Amino acid sequence: MASVFSASIPQEAPGYSFNHLSSGTREHAFNPYTDNGGSTLGISGADFTIFAGDTRSTSGYNINTRYAPKLFKIGGEGPSNENARIVLSVVGFAADGNALKERLDTVVKMYKYQHGKPMTVAACAQRLSHILYSKRFFPYYVHAILGGLDEDGKGALYSYDPVGSYEREQCRAAGSASSLIMPFLDNQVNFKNQYVPGSGVGHALEQRVPEPLPRKDVEQLVKDAFTSATERQIEVGDGLQMMTITKDGIEEVYSPLKKD
Amino acid sequence: MNHFPHGWGRPRDDVYGAYNHAYLQPDGSKQHTQSPIVTGTSVIAVKFKDGVVIAADNLASYGSLARFTDVKRLRRFNSRVVLGFGGDVSDMQHLDRLLSTLSIREDYSSTASESDNAARELNARNLHTYLAKVMYKRRSEFNPLWNAILVVGLDGESQPFLATVDLLGTTFSAPTLATGFGAHLAQPILRRAVPDEAAVAEMTREKAVGVVRECMKVLFYRDARSIDKYSMAVVEKEKEVELVEDEQLEQQSWAFAEGIKGYGTQTV
Amino acid sequence: MFIARSEYDRGINTFSPEGRLFQVEYSLEAIKLGSTAIGVSTSSGVILGVEKRVTSTLLETSSVEKIVEIDRHIGCAMSGLQADARSMIEHARVECQNHAFHYGESLGTESCTQAICDLALRFGEGAEGEESIMSRPFGVALLIAGFDEDGPSLYHAEPSGTFYRYDAKAIGSGSEGAQAELQNEYHKSLTLPEAEVLVLKTLKQVMEEKLDAKNVQLASVTKDKGFRIYTDDEMADVVGRLPTN
Repeated sequence: MASVFSASIPQEAPGYSFNHLSSGTREHAFNPYTDNGGSTLGISGADFTIFAGDTRSTSGYNINTRYAPKLFKIGGEGPSNENARIVLSVVGFAADGNALKERLDTVVKMYKYQHGKPMTVAACAQRLSHILYSKRFFPYYVHAILGGLDEDGKGALYSYDPVGSYEREQCRAAGSASSLIMPFLDNQVNFKNQYVPGSGVGHALEQRVPEPLPRKDVEQLVKDAFTSATERQIEVGDGLQMMTITKDGIEEVYSPLKKD
Repeated sequence: MNHFPHGWGRPRDDVYGAYNHAYLQPDGSKQHTQSPIVTGTSVIAVKFKDGVVIAADNLASYGSLARFTDVKRLRRFNSRVVLGFGGDVSDMQHLDRLLSTLSIREDYSSTASESDNAARELNARNLHTYLAKVMYKRRSEFNPLWNAILVVGLDGESQPFLATVDLLGTTFSAPTLATGFGAHLAQPILRRAVPDEAAVAEMTREKAVGVVRECMKVLFYRDARSIDKYSMAVVEKEKEVELVEDEQLEQQSWAFAEGIKGYGTQTV
Repeated sequence: MFIARSEYDRGINTFSPEGRLFQVEYSLEAIKLGSTAIGVSTSSGVILGVEKRVTSTLLETSSVEKIVEIDRHIGCAMSGLQADARSMIEHARVECQNHAFHYGESLGTESCTQAICDLALRFGEGAEGEESIMSRPFGVALLIAGFDEDGPSLYHAEPSGTFYRYDAKAIGSGSEGAQAELQNEYHKSLTLPEAEVLVLKTLKQVMEEKLDAKNVQLASVTKDKGFRIYTDDEMADVVGRLPTN
């Protein structure tokens, strides 16, 4: 019976992002988690924040569906979150991701009723951290990224680990292709390993100073990141869902990715 | 969800190594379901222009034993929702009772007159959400209902609806869906017929039924835990649910495959 | 109001046939026995003032605490049963800390007032099936002064669980006269030092004792300094600025 999966499979096989946790231990009985693959990323700019995620859902080598969104509007009005100003992206175990999204959405909507003002991204970020930590010993198996505009109208982006550690960043990639996308973003958004030509020799070389990128450039970076990730990561593909938060609200765009 | 229900909800062998069966020794303490006992195999479904077709065979297996050969795994919930159950049969029956209770409660609380009754009944999306919450809650209590369920029918806008939920509470939706072995064998055939939502609009009821029948045949040929008797249901806009529970697999061919490359003696 | 008194004033959760909750109404009477407290809101902050009833020359006046801090940016003055106020303020302080913990921002003044009023109704069962935690309504009214992102604000919270926002409000035994005085004297362009004087001047008119720096207490809530109780020196300064008559 176990023959189907018992053959040793190369390390490149689709696996959990937390492989090391299982080394040496042996699981018994029911395993309440699975990995639904896929990747997400978020980049904050001077007056906008962009989120993106592929829409493929997998289990093992199977494609569950070619359209399962990983980006969610949080807050706003009603079940379709009209006029929302915060976006949450979740990647990992999709059932936990949905449960987390619904919990945070309820909290943000209740906050507006109780305090008579929309929740700020910073407040939402701290609240999300506590929600994740409240399940420290039976975690939501997800990498969450939260973002919007801060109180000064600047792009704000917060990234989380599954148990609630978080920090504000310029950009973050999560999920199965994060190891492919994050170095690309480090180089293209934060100009890591880019130096000012002729500024010196060896250690005297000056690092190129990062500056907020214009929206058009960031959108192109996002598309390049995902088309490239689709080539190399079997769990990434099918479609690209993008959400951009600006002072005018949230724009959502879908574009196809390779389906192979 | 692979084709083997015993593997569902267990750590994946390719990640955690081969499964250790030592736990099966009973220690007398109260145990939650650790594995399914009597199981049903694939459920398959496909959307078409104005509705959805769903099918599942009538076998309940006890390991490799074909134990019950007349088990109905499709359930009509109301005039616009049908459910298909894969996985543990006793858990399916538990959910069946749960849904009966829900249905009765809904009927009593609904004050709708006969004419607009359908508009107030739970639609397929409502039921899918409900089942997803039940399944996710049970998995979070480490006491899962060992099933993979397809929910088909019409949503609140009377559009075709097809979605799934499994023992982990994982949910997704697509123009075609298949659980168990069907995910490997039927899904490619179904996807060739209906690759995306645009193709759904072009799909007729007859063609959808045809491709589902074709898939049931492939599944019977290749899935050892299947039987050639199956149930099929069609939910269509402005029509009553059509559910047949004793369909016989027609036009089987068990002739020697001498003409097929790799089977017979071939000179090339 | 005592005409319709009957057995309906026994049960705290029983309406009289005229639709009144007598115990709640009586709790409002308890406040009218309390010492006078005044709050005045200006564009730059809120001033709270209370009279301390010095009933004995042997009383250590600094032990009379009728103005307390809830959070850095919220303070409150009380009139009525002080012991009841302790549990309300404890509740408000916890709510403020909880909010800061969960959201990384300070609790709004109105939200804080709402939190206090939620507690005020807990002589009956709570909305989510919580048990009744008090045998009677609170016998204290609060003036809640805060400075949040919307600027300064002053709220009056009653034992009935209702609250209103005021520019200037007086509660306690001298409230009727004091409120009339505030009505006359208050204007939107009041400065903070003017408000200090207005509060003390109004208190002076309704107090039985002669006002001095020891038997009144002032506090302010401002953007920069948050909630602050005036020191003895500052009290003496404000008392010195009072018009003599």
